Amino acid sequence: MKPPAMKPLTISGFITAILLIALSIYVVEDLPAFGDENSPVNKYVKLFNVDADGLVESLNAGILPLQIKIKIEDMGFNKEENYPTLEEGNYRIEWSEKGSFEGGRLSEGGWDILINEGEIFYNEPIRYYFIKEENRNLTVYRYNFPVRINELTEEETATINIVTAGLADYRGYDTMGEETVILTGAIGVILLLRRRGRL
Amino acid sequence: MTQGKGANKRDVVIEVTASLMFPFILLFGLYVMMGTGGTGGGFQGGTILATGFILYITVFGTDKGREKMPESVNVFFKSFGLFLYNGAGWLCILFSLATAQWLNMPAFWPVTEFTGVAGARGFLIAYMISVGIGLTVMASFVSQYFDLSMKEDDEMEGDEG
Amino acid sequence: MEWLIQHVLEKYNFWIAMLIIIIGLTATIVKENLLKKLIGLSIFQTAMFLWFVSLGDVGRNILTTWGLKTGTPPILWEQAAEKGYIYVNPLPNVLMLTGIVVSAATTAVALAIVIRIYQKYGTIEEDEIIEKEKEFERVGG
Repeated sequence: MKPPAMKPLTISGFITAILLIALSIYVVEDLPAFGDENSPVNKYVKLFNVDADGLVESLNAGILPLQIKIKIEDMGFNKEENYPTLEEGNYRIEWSEKGSFEGGRLSEGGWDILINEGEIFYNEPIRYYFIKEENRNLTVYRYNFPVRINELTEEETATINIVTAGLADYRGYDTMGEETVILTGAIGVILLLRRRGRL
Repeated sequence: MTQGKGANKRDVVIEVTASLMFPFILLFGLYVMMGTGGTGGGFQGGTILATGFILYITVFGTDKGREKMPESVNVFFKSFGLFLYNGAGWLCILFSLATAQWLNMPAFWPVTEFTGVAGARGFLIAYMISVGIGLTVMASFVSQYFDLSMKEDDEMEGDEG
Repeated sequence: MEWLIQHVLEKYNFWIAMLIIIIGLTATIVKENLLKKLIGLSIFQTAMFLWFVSLGDVGRNILTTWGLKTGTPPILWEQAAEKGYIYVNPLPNVLMLTGIVVSAATTAVALAIVIRIYQKYGTIEEDEIIEKEKEFERVGG
């Protein structure tokens, strides 16, 4: 007996499944490993490498050398794109040893660059860049946003629950819109299902 | 086979269990909703509160469930929760002239003189925003469940209304 | 054997999430009953949340108090900095929390539409509804 012919719906379903398998292999191949400690999304992003000839002395004295400053501004972190500028008196350089416990976090050895942002409620300097020395090269990193959230939540909003502070305070307007969507869902069900004067 | 509303057999064990669990689920939901000093938040507490009501309605039927949550109380909770949150948000947008900085609310609030800027933002998060979200979520889920499970006895098939 | 460990075993979370996405999406397309299509859509949404939240896990080599080697949840406590624990990235959790509740609300609206279709046509199979629609057009509405 011949098996019955396949309907066009099942054929299109199988083609969709094969296309999705190919897409998933293409996407998952590039992701970092699950639970990676140094994945760049969660800590800092590497910007560039510079030869460390005479730059260490000027970093220890508290002045950013000109080579590094020009390269950072060339990459797009300048005034036209609304980033804070690296002028004299606007930043501060701090050195912390590896494994030391200062300011509430465990640090790796390097120089931190702190910049004043100049807005209403952000008066204190914030960590922006991070310079490390290895093998006679200076590597410049840039801190990502989750690092700032984890360190400054207790000072700015007096709650210790970072997820609720992110929902209700830093992202408050998004949550305002989603609550309106929930109320609209309830009204939609009322309009569809109540008839004959029961409203 | 059921012929109307009153022909189901009643089971004592299920009814006693549900009526005993109902107040404790509501108390736990309130504890989770006000828990910004630890785990918790608005959305999570609201759904736990709705779960308690849905358990009571499933066991006892929609007629007895209507006594616990009548229509006027439902409508009041839905609109009051949205009024708390959207009121605070639209005041911020108006007073900061649409630069959309959520932070400027402590600048004109009188509570800021007592606790400082950080304390005022903590007060906003814990007592105004979480409660607003929780009440709206609970009321809308309970009303959706009522509509989906009510039986219309006097409606003909194929009627378009 | 190295590519097996590097590409498959270290990223097991993402592979499992993609498998459930494929199951959910083909169920939405292939099945003919309207309720089964809605269930497939709900499965698809749940697997998407799992995929997005597992982008933020950090810290595999640090031993925590309960024996596993992961990061701690993003709630501030004082002993975390002394012992060297790392907090999990809080941003994916924040963005997906509202999405979960909104997906439950929109599933309720879709179920209400299915109830109205049943009251008008009498079935919820797709091909029977299409035949009845053609009869309606032929007779004249």
